[in-house]
Order: sequence, then C-alpha cells, then structure tokens
Amino acid sequence: MAKNPPSGASVLQPRFPGVPWVRIRGWLGILAAAAALLATWMALVWAPTDAVQGDVYRIMYVHVPSAWLAYLAFVVVFLASIGWLWSRRPIFDAIAVSSAEIGVLFTGLALVAGSIWAKPTWGVWWTWEPRLITTAVMFVMYIGYLLLRGLSTDFERRATRAAILGAVLVLDVPIVHLSVLWANSLHQLPTVLRAGGSPALDASMLLTLLVSVAAFTLIYAYLMAARVAIEVARRERLWTPT
Amino acid sequence: MDTNVAFIVAAYVIVWGALLAYLWSLRARGA
Repeated sequence: MAKNPPSGASVLQPRFPGVPWVRIRGWLGILAAAAALLATWMALVWAPTDAVQGDVYRIMYVHVPSAWLAYLAFVVVFLASIGWLWSRRPIFDAIAVSSAEIGVLFTGLALVAGSIWAKPTWGVWWTWEPRLITTAVMFVMYIGYLLLRGLSTDFERRATRAAILGAVLVLDVPIVHLSVLWANSLHQLPTVLRAGGSPALDASMLLTLLVSVAAFTLIYAYLMAARVAIEVARRERLWTPT
Repeated sequence: MDTNVAFIVAAYVIVWGALLAYLWSLRARGA
C-alpha cells in the first residue's frame, strides 16, 4: 500500500457516468486507423514528387507530424501539470504521465525519421545544429521527467514534483520550434507555422501534410485514452482500501 | 524508381512499427 493515497478512488472515476467510454475509444481507434491508411496512401502515392529532393521528401509526412505531436503532447503535460497543482485532482497527474510517455515516443520517432531523411539530403545521419540539439535535449529532459516519477512512492509528493518539472520543461517547445530562426541552421526553416505568410508549400503537399497531422492527432488521442485508462486502473488497484 | 526508396521505406516501417509496438504494449498492460 502506497503512502498518502489520494482522497478516495472516486476522484479517479470518469465525471460523466453513462458515457460509453470503451465504445467511444473503439470508434476512435477505427477512425485513427482509417486516417492513418488514408494519410499513408496520400503520402506515398497521391502527393507529387518534389522537384528538388525527389521522392525522399515523402519522409516529411511522418517526420513533421511526429514532431508536432511531440509539441502537443508536452503542452498537454504542461496543462495537466497546472491542473494538478491547481486542483490536486489525480486524473491530471494520470494525464500528465500518459502524455509525457507518448510525447517521448513521438520525439524519438521525429529524431529517427529526421535522421533517415538527413542522410540522403544532407549527407550525414546527424549533425550538431540548433534544431537537432534542442530536440535531443527535449527528448532527454522528458525521459528525465519520467525517471523522476520513479523516485518516490508518495503519490502527492511525486505528482507535485513531476507537475513542477512538467510546467517548466514546456519552455523547450518554443525553443525547439524557433531555434532555426535564432541561429544559423542546416535544418529547414518553418514551412507551415511561419510568421508573416501563408505556408510555403505546394497545395497538394500541404493537404497531404495536414491529413497526416490529423491522422497522427487521432492516433495520439487513441493512445492517450488507452494509456490514461491503464493509469487510472493501476491507481485504483493501489489505493482501493482492502 | 527513386534511388532513395530504401530510406523512405525505413522511415515508414520504423514510425508505424513503433506506434503499433507501443499500442501492443498498452494492450499487454491491460488497455
């Protein structure tokens, strides 16, 4: 039995009784799978070949959504951390740890896909330039966040320490995104989310990228629903009075 | 055929493979 249990298992229960969560999750999974298939078809078949890079640019359709979903996941960690510090409701801590874990996965995938794209375009798998360094730092920091959580079995203390760290680490997200503007960078400048202009991308390429981002967002939502459910079930097992 | 097709295949296999593996791990954990 862990020390300092949260104030009753009821705080972990869904706040909307009667909503068929399992069915909604099932439909979300089907929608995410369909979107993933559509995005992959558009990325590999429908989208035109790039005039400069040829077909290898198609790696963009998994690299960019992975990076954006890492940003989103860490912003969710930040919001959930503030939610815990504000309300002390354990569901926020469950959301924070779930989103951090999935964010680390997406960051790792963005780094790997980016490295595979770098080899044929830059000639190297890795180079020490601002975007890559800040992304690698973000990856290591959130692994540290997950490791920190293992240092204490006291629920409140662990959740509070993690929430403070989760609220601070989000500062690296804008640093990663803007690093290509702040320093000379080999990495491409922002193409879609850029100040003072519309996306610098062919319309069909932009549509394919947006469908890919939508598919990855649905996958993130599905993984979050599953991961949070595991966390809630685990905590109920730990803290249900026997 | 693009000479870089191996890089494209590798990127897609790793990304989708990792996401499926993570989903499988969630199922194994009881999701």
